[in-house]
Amino acid sequence: MSNLAIDARGVNKTFGTGALAFQALKDVDFQVKRGELVMLVGPSGSGKTTLLSILGCVLTASAGVVELFGTNITSLRERQLPVLRQALIGFVFQGHNLISSLTALQNVALILETRGVKRRHAHDEAAALLKRVGLGDKLNSFPDQLSGGQRQRVAIARAVAGKPPLVFADEPTAALDAHAGLEVTKILTEMCRENGTSVVVVTHDNRIFHLADRIVHIEDGQITDGHTAAAAATSATAH
Amino acid sequence: MSNEAQLDVAARIAQVKRNRWGRHRATIGLGLRMALHAKPKFVGTVLGVIFAVVLAAQQLGVLFGLLDKNTQFVDNCTAEVWIVPPGTTYANPGQKMSVALLNQARVTPGVAQASALIMAGTTIRKPTGGAEALTLVGVDLDTMLGGPYNIVVGDTNILRQADTLFFEDAVRDKLGGLNIGSVREVGGYQVKVGGFTWGLLPFGPPFTFANLDLARTLANIPNDQLNFVLIKVASGYTPEQVAATLRSRIDTADVITKTAFHKKIVSTLLKDQLGISFGTSTAFGLIIGFIIVMLSMYSSVIDNLREFGTLKAVGLTNWDLMRMLAVQSVMYALVGSLVGLGLVSLMAQGISSAKLAVIVPPVLVIATPIIMTVMCLLASLLALSRVAKLEPGMVFR
Repeated sequence: MSNLAIDARGVNKTFGTGALAFQALKDVDFQVKRGELVMLVGPSGSGKTTLLSILGCVLTASAGVVELFGTNITSLRERQLPVLRQALIGFVFQGHNLISSLTALQNVALILETRGVKRRHAHDEAAALLKRVGLGDKLNSFPDQLSGGQRQRVAIARAVAGKPPLVFADEPTAALDAHAGLEVTKILTEMCRENGTSVVVVTHDNRIFHLADRIVHIEDGQITDGHTAAAAATSATAH
Repeated sequence: MSNEAQLDVAARIAQVKRNRWGRHRATIGLGLRMALHAKPKFVGTVLGVIFAVVLAAQQLGVLFGLLDKNTQFVDNCTAEVWIVPPGTTYANPGQKMSVALLNQARVTPGVAQASALIMAGTTIRKPTGGAEALTLVGVDLDTMLGGPYNIVVGDTNILRQADTLFFEDAVRDKLGGLNIGSVREVGGYQVKVGGFTWGLLPFGPPFTFANLDLARTLANIPNDQLNFVLIKVASGYTPEQVAATLRSRIDTADVITKTAFHKKIVSTLLKDQLGISFGTSTAFGLIIGFIIVMLSMYSSVIDNLREFGTLKAVGLTNWDLMRMLAVQSVMYALVGSLVGLGLVSLMAQGISSAKLAVIVPPVLVIATPIIMTVMCLLASLLALSRVAKLEPGMVFR
């Protein structure tokens, strides 16, 4: 069995056609080991979110091969991808993206219920996860009754609910202040490490680099280099 | 490094595939919560359905009431077969026929009883001056076929007394303040009020009942003529059999069973008078309701586009989202139908009178939620098309 959670080779993505065509990714090779936490960094428009979308099975590559745990997702039909997302992937979005009509508990439990967990167990597990992220007293609060940091913590609980083997986080600290940003990323990394989850975090925020196992830089749709977290953190501090 | 569940990727995928019912249940619950959470939108959408139900069901209730007013004479008459002038579409005053038809009917196999019925237009003079139109019904008192029904005062035997009539209670004031024993001039003759019926008001003038001889006198119809022949079928025969036999023996009149006559009156009224007018207002109510529900559901989807995108990103399919919208549609339809039918029932009680009955029959109660559900499901198609086109990748933008 391969030790790779993600194995992307020669991935290209072009938006539009003809004169309006824009190549967002150019022959990208990207690997993540099982249980590894990788931060994907780069300037705006560098292609990191496009890469994350392809790895997260919400966007198809124009060319190249992407394997998740040995399953070639580029060869799958579009209608097969939702099952893969549901079974394997947890998402943390930049804007939390909670369902406004559901309480914190229901937001987390929904993911478990759709994965086949019985309702009562789903609620018990969701409550435990929310307590774990420090929201034990906010189980029945709706998203609009929570602060930005609290919402993102609910989003993290939702992403790790059911212990998916992969979690993708897109700028999870972007809408938070420095303290809250660091706090939620710590929670995310701790929970994922406990579960042995592979994590890819797209971020600009160099204050959280030290939490990663590896930092991968992407620029103009190409991977430029990869560092260990310690080297990247040192580099960021120097800057 | 990893726990067993993570390593077994295939097992996780299989579990998700197996879990159809759990996903169905979760999405049904989510659909309901989403609809109920946005209370103003929920109320607005349900009001749209209520509006459609009230307008459509109230119009149909009035239509059923009017149809009933015009078929009730046939429906309440114990005759099972009618011999009517050619081309007859209603049970109202019309051409006269020969009494030979009555004799022919009486000797036809399968006929248990056959009676003449007089139905003629006449007038009543009011004590204060002026006159009102009446539909005079002359009845064979031995068979009572076509006799008065819904009697509120009096006994039909009193019609055997000379110059005695039954009038319609609901218009007694309009006819000049009638009371039992009142004497009035009908068709130029002095008659006496012997009893009252209630609610016998077709589109034409109110029914007024007399015995056959008196009716012939008041309407100036000779003894060798009549308007209808009413037949009661002998046991062992069906109305259809007797009607067929009569048709083979009679070529100067139409023979029609009670059921067929009822249907003929209804279809004629719908085609000629009521259908277009009530059909238009009913359709108008449904169209308005459809538009309100459609716009409300569409705007709800647009308002929550990011949430729908998120649901797609975390693995829900278009079918799952379709189920959510369908559940919302059914809820709007059922809640709106229930409240709407309740309001229509109250309105029916409030506005029903002897002249206008608003009838909400069981078929309307059953059909309304079904029609509204279909309407709401169709109305959700626009919202669904927007959701179906939604790219899950939009959540990253």
